[in-house]
Amino acid sequence: MISLISYLLISLVLFIVGLVVMISRKNIVAILLGIELILNAAALNFVAYSRFVTNNLDGHIFSLFIIVVAAAEAAVGLAIVIRFFQIKETIHIDEATQLRN
Amino acid sequence: MIDQLFGFLGYYVPEIISIVLMTTLLVAEAGVKDDHAPRTKIHVYTQLMLGIVLVCLLMNLGAKPLHIFYNAVTIDPFSTLVKIIMTLGTMGAVFLSHSSKDIYSNLKSEFSIMAVGVLIGGMLLASANNMLTLYLGIETLSILSYVLSSFKRDESTSTEAGMKYALYGGLSAGIALFGISHLYGVLGSIQFVDMVTKLPGIEGVNLAILLISFLMFFVGIGYKISVFPFHMWTPDVYQGSPIPVTSFFAIVPKMAGIASLVRVSFVFVQEGSPLAISWIGLILVIAAMTMTVGNVTAIGQTSVKRLLAFSSIGHVGMMILGVVVMNEAGVQAILFYGIVYLFMTLIAFYVTSHLSDMYGTDSYDVFRGLIYKHPVMAIIMASVLFSLAGMPPFAGFIAKFNIFSVIIQKKHYGIALVAAINSVIALYYYMKLAKTMIFGTPQGEEKVLGFTTLNQAVIISLFIPVLFLGIFWDSAMALAGNAALFIK
Repeated sequence: MISLISYLLISLVLFIVGLVVMISRKNIVAILLGIELILNAAALNFVAYSRFVTNNLDGHIFSLFIIVVAAAEAAVGLAIVIRFFQIKETIHIDEATQLRN
Repeated sequence: MIDQLFGFLGYYVPEIISIVLMTTLLVAEAGVKDDHAPRTKIHVYTQLMLGIVLVCLLMNLGAKPLHIFYNAVTIDPFSTLVKIIMTLGTMGAVFLSHSSKDIYSNLKSEFSIMAVGVLIGGMLLASANNMLTLYLGIETLSILSYVLSSFKRDESTSTEAGMKYALYGGLSAGIALFGISHLYGVLGSIQFVDMVTKLPGIEGVNLAILLISFLMFFVGIGYKISVFPFHMWTPDVYQGSPIPVTSFFAIVPKMAGIASLVRVSFVFVQEGSPLAISWIGLILVIAAMTMTVGNVTAIGQTSVKRLLAFSSIGHVGMMILGVVVMNEAGVQAILFYGIVYLFMTLIAFYVTSHLSDMYGTDSYDVFRGLIYKHPVMAIIMASVLFSLAGMPPFAGFIAKFNIFSVIIQKKHYGIALVAAINSVIALYYYMKLAKTMIFGTPQGEEKVLGFTTLNQAVIISLFIPVLFLGIFWDSAMALAGNAALFIK
């Protein structure tokens, strides 16, 4: 039987990997992938806590909502990235430097 | 009578009408034949429906606190007053979007769709009573805001603004969600009421997890209201977005975020809870830093849009000082500030938008000698700048005075001093702009054209509250006080 702590460790690793990807990668699509990793880490936490600690359905329902919201966020994010690519012909984050002091 | 007809749904009518409005707008756009036709009918329809929403909200104002949808949503005078402010802000932004050249004519009704969607998210956030509604409110607000900020889709600045907003927003929402998931594990529920009852018994490792995850949770709200460590996106997004969108961002998402900050603070931070001391200390430091960063950075700006962005950061820092004192007077001060801030911000953005449409830029130069070109506009704008700086006899003075009086009553002298210094800095940069308008020599000979009677009527009727609330503040204060009573 897999215990709660393994799930929490996995989700922590996912979260940290997501953060590192967001900070270190220069490709905007990769950064969006990092956001997905973070959201899925949270969803995993919810399901694990729901199963092992609280014994109610709140966590399961919350994780379903997270999946929906993540899909919507990815759709809008990708649409904006496509627009950015059409204008700049690159998806390198360092090209986004027009708005600065 | 309403509750007999529909049960508790009667109190949810404003949200339902907004949702109906959003979906019908989506369909109405299909009926427009010509791509460049003015969307006057759609605009009038939007304003009418928002007016009905406003009337329903005003009818809800006297209702007792009510928890509906299995405790997921709270309807109380506090959330209703915040919703009224947000609806007025949406009406103003939609009106501005209709006349502004910054929004392409074939996207004008799309702006209404998105703005009403953000309004729905803001309403959800303002009356959120569990973590799920709070998260959904934040995300509805954010995802539609990304679209709004990249609305000028042929320009790289707008697209870049939308992209930065989406990336920062996704990161902060993810961090907040991770915090919420651990709060759920430690406290065993997503309902605020049930979570609070578990709070006193937490100790050891769980307490450490609780504190860290509460901090992560704060990132989500702090990002929405753009307080100090999470404010970096604000100037960029405000500058890159079209002006109607900027005026919308400065009001609706911020008021929703502040409302949820107030509610979360009053629900979770009570006497004896492990969060109490650290939370108030955190808000104190963050408010001081937010004000200082916002106001100091505003000094060097040359773009008026960017200046207003930084000044809005400063105003949010001022507003969240009302949370620090943790009593009804504090919430009353926040709500009154919110009402006044709504009118001041709308007028400032109206004038900026009009001048930016005329000259194609929003630098200080377009304001030079405005008094010779359009005296009414210049006098109103100068008065609003005085009001934003907190000078009597305008409403901004009363709003700031309330915040000062509640924090001094609780003997937070240090933060009062910081706020006072910040008011002086704010006075400097607002006066610099006012001086440019009144004493500068105008560059061209041309008059300010195209400022229609309707526009003038709107700007004057928006200005009346700024003047009126500075002298007869009793009624608005009573309204805010009544709304604040229900926070326990």
